[in-house]
Amino acid sequence: MEYMERKLASLWVKYREACPDPEPSSEFMPQLWERIEARRRATVSLLFRRWAEVCVMAALALSLLVSTLLIPHSQRQPVYQFTYLDVLAADNLNDDAVVLPVVDVR
Amino acid sequence: MPGCRAQPAGLAVAMLVDFEVIERARKGDDGAFNQMVVAYRKRILGTIARLIGRPEDVEDVGQEVFLRLYYSLDQLRTPEVFEPWLYRLTVNAAYDYMRKQRRRRESRMSDLSEQQVMMADASAGGKERQEEVRRTQIREFVQSLLGQVSEEDRALLVLKEVEGLSLKEMEKIYKVNENALKVRLFRARQRVLKAYEEGKGVGEPED
Repeated sequence: MEYMERKLASLWVKYREACPDPEPSSEFMPQLWERIEARRRATVSLLFRRWAEVCVMAALALSLLVSTLLIPHSQRQPVYQFTYLDVLAADNLNDDAVVLPVVDVR
Repeated sequence: MPGCRAQPAGLAVAMLVDFEVIERARKGDDGAFNQMVVAYRKRILGTIARLIGRPEDVEDVGQEVFLRLYYSLDQLRTPEVFEPWLYRLTVNAAYDYMRKQRRRRESRMSDLSEQQVMMADASAGGKERQEEVRRTQIREFVQSLLGQVSEEDRALLVLKEVEGLSLKEMEKIYKVNENALKVRLFRARQRVLKAYEEGKGVGEPED
C-alpha cells in the first residue's frame, strides 16, 4: 500500500511537469471581449423582454380588475334613475301653480 | 509550449496584480479588468488544463472563467479574497465542463486518443519527440485514473497534489474547515489509489 502511495505521489509530480501552463493564443482576449459583449447584449434584451412582459401582465390585470369590479359596480348605480318627465315633474313640484279657468273659446 | 515551472502554481505564489487594480475593475473599469485577465490567464489556463485534461478546450473554459469573473466582480467583498474567488470560479467552470463531457463520453469513445495518434508517428521523430510521447503517456494515464473518480474528488486532488495549494488556501476556495477538507482529501486519495491498484488507469508509463 505504501509503495503504491509513493508511486501515486511521484505520478502527481510527473503529471505537473507533463502539463505546463499553456500559452494563451492571440485570439484569447478578443474572443473573451466578444463573449462579454454578447452576454451584455443578451442581458439588455432579456431585461427589455421582462419589462415588456411585466407591462403586458399589468395591463391584463388592470383590464381584468376593471371588468370584474368596476363595471358591475357602475351598472348597479345607473346614472339615469328617473325618466325625463319624472325629473321635470319633480322640478315643477314647488312652483306656484297657476290654475287657469277653462274657457269656452267657441 | 513553455518549459516546466519549478514551483507549482497556486495561491502561495504572490498576487499578480495590485489591490488597486482589482478595486478599479470592481468599480467597472474595463482597462483594469483587462490588466487582471492578462496577468492571470496563463496561470488559470494551466490549472484548467490539469483539471480537465483536454488541451483543445482549455481556452474555451478559461474564457468562461473570466466571463463569470467580469459579471460577478461587483459581489467581491474585498480585493484580498480575489484569488480564492478566481480559483472558485475556475473550479466551478471546470466542474460544469466535466459534467458536460461525462454526458458526451459515449460519442467520444471511438476517437483515437492523443497518445495513440502520437505513438503512431513517434518512430519518425528523435529524442524530443520521444519525450513528448512520454509526457502524453503520463497525461493520459493520470487523466484516466482521475476519470475513475467524481469531478469533486478530481478537483480536490488536482488543487492539492498538482497545483500545490495548502489546506488554508483550499479552505478559502471551498469555504469549509480544514478538518472537513482533510477527510474529503483522504477519501478522494483512497479512491484514486484503489483505481491505481486495480489497474484501471490506461497505459501506465514506464519509470
